[in-house]
Amino acid sequence: MPSLCPTPPRWLAFSLLAAGLAALPFLVDAGLGRSWVRLLDLALLYAILALGLNIVVGYAGLLDLGYVAFYALGAYVYAWLSSPHFGLHLPFWAVLPLGASLAALFGVLLGAPTLRLRGDYLAIVTLGFGEIIRIFLNNLNAPVNITNGPQGINLIDPVRLGSFDLSQPHELLGYTFTSIHLTYYLFLLFTLGVIFISMRLEDSRIGRAWVAIREDEVAAAATGINTRNLKLLAFAMGATFGGLAGGLFASFQGFISPESFNLMESIMILCMIVLGGMGHIPGVIFGAVVLTLLPEALRYTGDWQRELFGRIYIDPADLRMLLFGLALVAVMLYRPAGLLPSTRRRREFADAQE
Amino acid sequence: MNALLTVSGVSKAFGGLQALSGISLQVHAGEIFGLIGPNGAGKTTLFNALTGLYSIDCGEIRLNGQPIEGRKPHQVLHTGLARTFQNIRLFAEMTALENVLVGRHARTRSGVVGAVLRLPATRREEADSRERAHALLQRVGIAQHAHRLARNLPYGDQRRLEIARALATEPVLLALDEPAAGMNPAERAALREMLLQLQADGLTLLLIEHDVKLIMGLCTRLAVLDYGLKIAEGTPDAVCRDPKVIAAYLGDEAI
Repeated sequence: MPSLCPTPPRWLAFSLLAAGLAALPFLVDAGLGRSWVRLLDLALLYAILALGLNIVVGYAGLLDLGYVAFYALGAYVYAWLSSPHFGLHLPFWAVLPLGASLAALFGVLLGAPTLRLRGDYLAIVTLGFGEIIRIFLNNLNAPVNITNGPQGINLIDPVRLGSFDLSQPHELLGYTFTSIHLTYYLFLLFTLGVIFISMRLEDSRIGRAWVAIREDEVAAAATGINTRNLKLLAFAMGATFGGLAGGLFASFQGFISPESFNLMESIMILCMIVLGGMGHIPGVIFGAVVLTLLPEALRYTGDWQRELFGRIYIDPADLRMLLFGLALVAVMLYRPAGLLPSTRRRREFADAQE
Repeated sequence: MNALLTVSGVSKAFGGLQALSGISLQVHAGEIFGLIGPNGAGKTTLFNALTGLYSIDCGEIRLNGQPIEGRKPHQVLHTGLARTFQNIRLFAEMTALENVLVGRHARTRSGVVGAVLRLPATRREEADSRERAHALLQRVGIAQHAHRLARNLPYGDQRRLEIARALATEPVLLALDEPAAGMNPAERAALREMLLQLQADGLTLLLIEHDVKLIMGLCTRLAVLDYGLKIAEGTPDAVCRDPKVIAAYLGDEAI
């Protein structure tokens, strides 16, 4: 039966979405201020990280608590090859793939000895791996100065394409595109690429094999899946995206230090996946955006208190983390499958009610 | 008659428990071979040893002349031995169709690049897999459940889905671990018909079953295990009359 109320054609929905995404930094700039555009950049960066971890945790079901190590590797490779630290200034299009590949290699190196481990045991080993990388970065400033220790590496080159420098404002059609606006578009491009790859993999022979391993590893092996190779592939794919995000982060900040890559970062990325909806791409992106913006929005609790009560009762820095924690608990209590669970999970509820 | 599966002198111990001691048997191409025995006799252990889930202590297993002992489960499957599990092991959060598609994994090859770029070869392979998966769901009689999650299917249909998933791997020998467990008489009759049809299509079946009526009517030959030992092998009629089999099932006093 033909629908009486036709849905808008796909191209229209897509062009509206594209226009919205293109205009977003200007709307946010005008409405909330420049610092929020910067947060938007970070949210995209976290979306890439969360999508990478989603392959390992969401699809293949391998609980990885050391994911930030790959992020760190990508960032340090970028810093080594594109800063005054070693006097190298390679272009970003050469450095980013190198960082991502090195991260992928480490993904396989970490994956290989942990293949027999599952669940909490795997979590503990990967957690250790994340800490080992961070401690190495912290201490590899002697006898040969490789990482510059806790001081980190400074003056990292911004993204440059020929004479186009992303760190300088550019004029186009009467609009001024500042560095953080341009970074937004660059990150958006990479995020869309990672989304595309994730979507294609999810609906493929490889993606189904990952989910099969998550569901029942023994049955997956008995159904002809080489569980060893596919788990390593999941680690490598996740690490690739982590390394990519690391390189982007280094070019964006211009400065990195081991402090940016602590355990809390790994936990936050994992929270984004769990909170948004594990294994579901829109959910994971939503989780990344919410968990990047929410802690910042909660910085305003001091202002709200002053407006409401005329004075500040609780230090906003303390209250912020308290409210953040409560929000996480509330979501897990009332939406255990995540804020945007996959259709698969929704179908489960529908099936259960039949 | 040529032997499709040859098991010779296979033993497996778990600590002090000798789960299998020197089991030897031959399954011929095209037959339905039954494996029976009391609980704990070692039937499922033998299945696990055949399919590479357990490593065996000694002995030899050959499928189509190729040695398969010591191989990993996915390698055993590649040589053409597929199985189902006694306690159904489906991919619970995947749909019935996806479960069968996973079965196609071993017989397809497209990798990451093919999947991301949707190369023509990948698209052809995917379309072919889906077509075969739908046909298999149809064949085991659960086509109407294609898009339901495996864990929400009725029990009997879950057993059938497991068979469809195993068939998707294009086996020459299908090992079924108590396929009729938990089925009602009507479902058992349908299962019987299906197994005979599979046999008619040239598949060899290895069957663990407790339902004596089903196994006697279906199997060409039987082997009986007790405490890890093979105590009898032969046609259903001969095995039924074997005093050792009667003793194992009914107790020594019954004789």
